[in-house]
Amino acid sequence: MQYKVLEKDKISGFLDYLASKHNLMAPVSEDESFSQFKRVYQASEINLNYTNTVIPPKNYFFPPAENLFSFSAENGGIEIKESRQAENMVIFGLRPCDINGMSMLDPVFNGNFPDSYYGPKRERTILIGLSCQEVMPTCFCKSFGTDPTDGSGADLMLTGLENCFLVEILTDKGAGLLENAGGFFSDESVDKAISEKKLLRDKLAGAFLREPDLSGVKEILDKNFEHPYWEELAAKCIGCGICTFVCPTCHCFNMIDTSRPDATGSRYRCHDSCMFPGFTKMAGGHNPRPTRVERVRNRFMHKLKYHLDRYNLDGCSGCGRCIAKCPVNIDISQIITHIREVVKDD
Amino acid sequence: MNNITLELRKQARKLLEDQVVQLVIGYGRGSDPFRVTPVFVRHPDFVDSLIWNPFCINNLAKYLIEYRYLPGKIAVVIKGCDSRAVNRLIQDNQIERDKIVLLGVPCTGILEAEKVAKTTGYQLELERCSEQEEKFTLHTSSGDFSFAAKDSLITKCYSCYNHNPVVFDIMLGPAAKENPAAVKYSEVESLEKLNVKEKSEYWDMYFSRCLRCYACRNVCTACTCQECIFNQAKPAWVDRINNLSNNTSFHLIRAFHVAGRCVDCGECDRVCPVNIPLRHLNQKILKDLQELYDAPIPGADLETGPALGCFVTEDPEEFM
Amino acid sequence: MTDLTGGNPLLPNIATIASIRRETGDVKTFQVVFDDPLAVQSFAHKPGQVALISVFGEGEATISITSSPTVKGFLEFSIKKVGRLTSVLHEIEAGAKVAVRGPYGNGFPLDEMKGKNLLFVGGGIGLAPLRSLIDYVLAEENRSDYGNVEILYGARSMADICFKEDLFNKWTACKDTRVYTTIDREEPEWSGHVGFVPAYLEEIKPVSNNKVAITCGPPVMIKFILMSLQRLGFTEERIITTLEMKMKCGIGKCGRCNIGSKYVCLDGPVFTLKQLKELPPEF
Repeated sequence: MQYKVLEKDKISGFLDYLASKHNLMAPVSEDESFSQFKRVYQASEINLNYTNTVIPPKNYFFPPAENLFSFSAENGGIEIKESRQAENMVIFGLRPCDINGMSMLDPVFNGNFPDSYYGPKRERTILIGLSCQEVMPTCFCKSFGTDPTDGSGADLMLTGLENCFLVEILTDKGAGLLENAGGFFSDESVDKAISEKKLLRDKLAGAFLREPDLSGVKEILDKNFEHPYWEELAAKCIGCGICTFVCPTCHCFNMIDTSRPDATGSRYRCHDSCMFPGFTKMAGGHNPRPTRVERVRNRFMHKLKYHLDRYNLDGCSGCGRCIAKCPVNIDISQIITHIREVVKDD
Repeated sequence: MNNITLELRKQARKLLEDQVVQLVIGYGRGSDPFRVTPVFVRHPDFVDSLIWNPFCINNLAKYLIEYRYLPGKIAVVIKGCDSRAVNRLIQDNQIERDKIVLLGVPCTGILEAEKVAKTTGYQLELERCSEQEEKFTLHTSSGDFSFAAKDSLITKCYSCYNHNPVVFDIMLGPAAKENPAAVKYSEVESLEKLNVKEKSEYWDMYFSRCLRCYACRNVCTACTCQECIFNQAKPAWVDRINNLSNNTSFHLIRAFHVAGRCVDCGECDRVCPVNIPLRHLNQKILKDLQELYDAPIPGADLETGPALGCFVTEDPEEFM
Repeated sequence: MTDLTGGNPLLPNIATIASIRRETGDVKTFQVVFDDPLAVQSFAHKPGQVALISVFGEGEATISITSSPTVKGFLEFSIKKVGRLTSVLHEIEAGAKVAVRGPYGNGFPLDEMKGKNLLFVGGGIGLAPLRSLIDYVLAEENRSDYGNVEILYGARSMADICFKEDLFNKWTACKDTRVYTTIDREEPEWSGHVGFVPAYLEEIKPVSNNKVAITCGPPVMIKFILMSLQRLGFTEERIITTLEMKMKCGIGKCGRCNIGSKYVCLDGPVFTLKQLKELPPEF
């Protein structure tokens, strides 16, 4: 791996440069407790000290509503016009859990029948990670084998240290981005920065309030599809979709047509939620997951077992968004711990 | 343990032991010191999972709709604001009064967890809370922390209409002091002062964030429709495509749908993951209803029906 | 499949409804022809696979392909009017433009069935996916690969019988093929068997030796058919069924047709009873 150092006083210059040369997305705080990734035009808009945005950055590749194609009736036929857009994009400031979340989503949209919307956008995007400076009370990325300074999956990883940022160049894409921005970086005191980063990593590793132990959880779930514990969770669930919409790895979608009286229209792909009763309800009325018990179970099974079965990857990145936002305190980190306990008690 | 918690457990145990109720819905310890979670107690052995503390924010009346078909009675822990929802549900024939046992809590306000945590951090156990002279003291494993009510409560509690339940069967403590002078609509008033463009910008900013997760609807005690129009496939009045126009339609239709029935419990506002100030929408309607019809807050008593939902012969509108 | 959609699996190919045949009061069979001749050639489906049919402005629905790949030039879909999109389909007339994408799913295990006798058990619209396989097996070029064919079909009433021409004329006339039909209740003009499919099945008592049973129908019927077939000696590996689930993408991404870790659109819709028993009961 190649390292560079970016002096603290040069970060603004670098970000301004990025914003001038690229379609730059970065975390912006809109009010006291709401930040999101947005197109930024200058460094001053960016909040470098943000804690996880409410809306996960997956939305740049898998938007809440995406026009797939438009159609129009023409001379007795029908014309379809694909509306694929994949602009070059740089996303700056991604936290390790979100980068990990993207890696978990990739095999869903790639794989067999590679998706024509997600893939090209993902390919044309450069991901710049930014190490966390603090561990939120809802964070538990550590349980999923990453840590708050881990850049795996990003093209570049920045870590804010006392006087500088350590820059890790992780891919050719990342290297390419820096080629023209050489003036901002130096090779001086790289070793010092590397050891400072290690200290930060160790400090943060000890700051987790939630460290649920995942070992054996999938094996328990393999054998315990039916369990009263799911009913206990479902009793309090209000069936909203917060957990799925704020999740960096949830990928369920619906496809919806719109049409206008002039026989034109569009087909959209929209985020959907397995928490909604209509999600699996069939035209004839049969519903394979008719109550909240099945729906709640499906969500946690998906995160902790199904995704692993299918892609050999965790289905949760430990970002803690669903924990922070659940109106009734259904807490996946607690569920992981409980699963081990309730089965032991049986 | 505070006295309310002790009394709550005592009453819950008795209700379950005497088989007066089949289920007690209350608050339990959450996964963080300042979070609580709804708990459903069906057996006297488990009443110790019930707690009361100044973080018990959820309006548990919503669950009465879910559990209304349960044979036998249900006991539910109710604060002042939540109790108005109970009256509304009874008025709308959503639940039967004699099917429920209301465990009323005199509530002096809910503490804002994040504000509290800024002082205390999260690495502690909350053992109990005590309260005196407009001051909350949290007794924790890391010592005691005191918070003045005047700057630590969640916003809605500063304009509280009912510190004590307006309907209850068992009160779990001595009545709290009411504050009828509380200013109810200051935020709405400042919004009213904006011009049309500013108002539009204000709401556009918020509505464009909406995820359409429907948490505001699902948590709302006024939302009792068997099938919500936002779930209907045909006709799809407002389709699921997330954009400003659809999101605006969603929120405005919802606000009008609950107009005159919203009890201002503030749950929609609380649960919104993207901080849309939904309560302002509902409060604007409440304020107008109060000014136009002298309507009390919905659910304040069982006798007064919802301003927009009841017929009076003196109505000036002939077409009604 | 030749790439006609720029490799975009969510883009459907425009097609025309060539003809519509009314099967029953609420089932119609649509013969669909792709507008692009290349699409016609390249839509190489296996019996048991599904396709998504678009009515522009209304959306898509997952429908099993009713016609056999041995029948060239068009696709057939037998569609029961049950929901929003199927109601729209029932309103449209021949000549209308629709669009089709697919084929999706695993299809029936054609090779594993080779050399075996085949027992088809269908109820109501459940014959639609089986018909693709029946016609495939009975097609001249494939007939020698498979043994005897027995077809047991039941409907609620005479008026509810789908594919009458196939059942009463075409298949009956095929070599080494027997067709049994039944309706639930007596009707004056019906001289055939009366009674539910599972009971009739146990009455016929087909031998299970060297035989594969393929069944599809309403969930409650399937439940009893599966029990009957096991009583008749069919092993779990030799009982095959095809499932129906709500799907939006058909390609394993939209996340709603999962049964446990399996996606019906990719890993199904065809499952042996053995495979089904390993899945959670969420279908």
